[in-house]
Amino acid sequence: MSADPAAGLAAGLATARSEPSSVRSEPITGGDGHRRTLVLTVPDWSAVAAAAEHDLSPRTPVAVLSAGKVIAANAPARAAGIALGNNKRAVGYRCPEAHVVAWDEDVDNKHFSAGVGALEELVARFTLLGPGTLAIPLDSLKHGYADEPSAVEALISALVSATGWEFFPGIADTVFAAVLAAGQARRVEPGETVEFLAAQPITTLEYAGAGATELIDTFTQLGLRTLGDLAALDARDVTSRFAALGKHAHDLAAGTGWTPLPDHVREERLNVELGLDTPTTRSDTLGFLTRQLAADLLTKVRRRGLVCTQITIELLAVSGQASHRTWRIEDMNENTIADRLRWQAEGWLAGATRPGSARARNRSTSARRDKTSARRDKEEPAPDEPGPDPEDFSEEGIIAVGLVAAELTTPIGATKSLFDENTGQVTHTLERLQGLFGPDSVLVPGLQGGWDPAETNLWTPWQQAASPVRNPGAPWPGALHAPRPTTVDHLPIDVLAVGGRPVGARPTGLESVPFTIRFPTGATEDIVDYSGSWPVESGWWDPERATYRTRLQVVTDSGRALLLSKENGQWYLTGRYR
Amino acid sequence: MDVMSAAPLVEQLSREMGISTAAALFDGPRPRPVDPVLSPMFRRGGLPRGEIVTLTGGQSLSCALATIAAATQEQKWCAGIGLGEPAVSSIADLGVDLDHFVNLVTPAEDWLRVASILIESFDVLVVDPGFLPSAGERARLLAKVRERKVSFISLTSMPGSTEQIEITDTQWSGTEHGHGRLRSCLVQARSQTGVHRFLLPGPAGTPAEVPAPTSAVDGFERPVIRSVS
Repeated sequence: MSADPAAGLAAGLATARSEPSSVRSEPITGGDGHRRTLVLTVPDWSAVAAAAEHDLSPRTPVAVLSAGKVIAANAPARAAGIALGNNKRAVGYRCPEAHVVAWDEDVDNKHFSAGVGALEELVARFTLLGPGTLAIPLDSLKHGYADEPSAVEALISALVSATGWEFFPGIADTVFAAVLAAGQARRVEPGETVEFLAAQPITTLEYAGAGATELIDTFTQLGLRTLGDLAALDARDVTSRFAALGKHAHDLAAGTGWTPLPDHVREERLNVELGLDTPTTRSDTLGFLTRQLAADLLTKVRRRGLVCTQITIELLAVSGQASHRTWRIEDMNENTIADRLRWQAEGWLAGATRPGSARARNRSTSARRDKTSARRDKEEPAPDEPGPDPEDFSEEGIIAVGLVAAELTTPIGATKSLFDENTGQVTHTLERLQGLFGPDSVLVPGLQGGWDPAETNLWTPWQQAASPVRNPGAPWPGALHAPRPTTVDHLPIDVLAVGGRPVGARPTGLESVPFTIRFPTGATEDIVDYSGSWPVESGWWDPERATYRTRLQVVTDSGRALLLSKENGQWYLTGRYR
Repeated sequence: MDVMSAAPLVEQLSREMGISTAAALFDGPRPRPVDPVLSPMFRRGGLPRGEIVTLTGGQSLSCALATIAAATQEQKWCAGIGLGEPAVSSIADLGVDLDHFVNLVTPAEDWLRVASILIESFDVLVVDPGFLPSAGERARLLAKVRERKVSFISLTSMPGSTEQIEITDTQWSGTEHGHGRLRSCLVQARSQTGVHRFLLPGPAGTPAEVPAPTSAVDGFERPVIRSVS
């Protein structure tokens, strides 16, 4: 802590005799379980981050758009009349020189976490509540500063000089109240937090987190206009009507909810990195180096009495590209980590440099199959093909490797359920297949949102974290009902009417009766029955992604049912009922 | 002397899981339960273990997935080989527990190798073989299937299989010449137990009995078919 030693001494003395009554303006720890919290927030953080991202001067008006509405605007933009909720045209109308950027969560987080690095020198513990907002427990400051105002002043002046951003401070007995106080740049006296909260409008619950929006609507309809109205209700009634979320909101409103925030711990991070002296594309070299690196990481993790269940592997190529993948590994050890890294590197380099290399590998494995006979199952997966010749790709290879413990848990949380049958054996088998045929050869099913079966399919390589792109909970008007095709396809075909003319599709229906399907091979099949055609319009709000589809189910004379879809004037076979 | 030598053998056999009596030894392992609509197709009312079952014809993949559904719900692991890209939504519709299904995307010519690795720990395999195995390969595959008591469903006919189910006719309904959509498919399947008619998929996406209006004749037929076995 780099505070003034004299002040620290004084404060230390003050707290040494820390009967609450003895100190006037510095009961830095609130009574009854509360913790005085200082919240610092940067107003219009998204706009500030966008300006930093695009290297704009602070005087350039900046407006950040999300879903077509302004969600943040900096001070010059506000002065020009831009308000939150404006659309893009209104921005251009009010302030033509304004710089309009799309909201980017990464930018928000990136600049903030970089900027608040300065705070690490000043305070022992702090928590990032979100981009633009951070919380500092005030009891961590009591040794360094005489009272709250001086602490705030010192911190803010240091932060402003380090970052150039404007910070609004707020102090209250709970974190939630402190966040609200920061929005008004005020300090709530100790013990007055409940009164402060009671006067706040119910809409401030939006800080409570996901799902609060619906709750706010319901509360408003019930006539609860302020947090005080909500707090006045009996906690049990709220819980029985609104379950956990309602209880959370009630706790926040009443100023009782206090969850200890996970502190940002300034210690060695649980990651390891290794720069290579010479770039390499050889997976055996990488695997060898990784084993040591992984052992280091696991030792670090183990020393804290934790278990690592997911690991993020980062590879950096000479050209500056990077590959990140997060893997979930059940029996995490240096060998399994090295395997994953090898697969990731192989897949990445193969995809990046030589698209044909995967085929070459398959050919060689099939050749090996012929040689091996009865004892092929005892045979260890053959060592990898040596990668491409290092000389050829010396400017391509990987120069740095990083491992990050992505998910940590206590040892009890990592143990497998007793009721899962032979999962370990299954894991072993599937890993072996992944080793032989590549990680993408073993896929586990999942579902995501979408209109067609091809879009709802979410096949993820075994033991990788699934990352759905589309929300399955959202409504998907026009999504296909059961029965759905059993396999997914995407094959351009011709759908012909009686005279051999192609069948056109309009929103009102087909232009003519479909009679024959012609496959790319030239084979044809007659259509004996067909469904009504129904249009599916997706992404109409974005001209880049908008597609207009007409979907049709047909039954052919061989008794097969097929799902067809017309996109951009071309019919496709998109699914087969098999 | 005979009694003396038989005792350790009996003891050893009784230590094997699942073999409690001599009858159990002769009957082999109990078949896996399947959907009640599908169970008449199988000789012993369920998906046999340690044997190869062939399922061919239209809608055979749906039929195979519907057959394995009950096993996956009992936490048995199932894998598909050579199926292309199945639609997850239809797999789920047919009742398969997605947490216990794995799809293998491996070269078609490697299916035998992949299957022989999977047999070690999986309970059910659904395979569309890329090529037919030679007699020697087939014998080894059969021996392995028998040893590990795996249920092996092949979507093309394969010599050495013990049960053959062939779907001989499929009739889709609901499309109404441009005024409806696919609703259900009436399937006629022939197996060692006779000819069976059922809906796959039925209106709910799962196998279903043929509904009453059309089953005036079928309802009369079916008991006769069931008794022939």
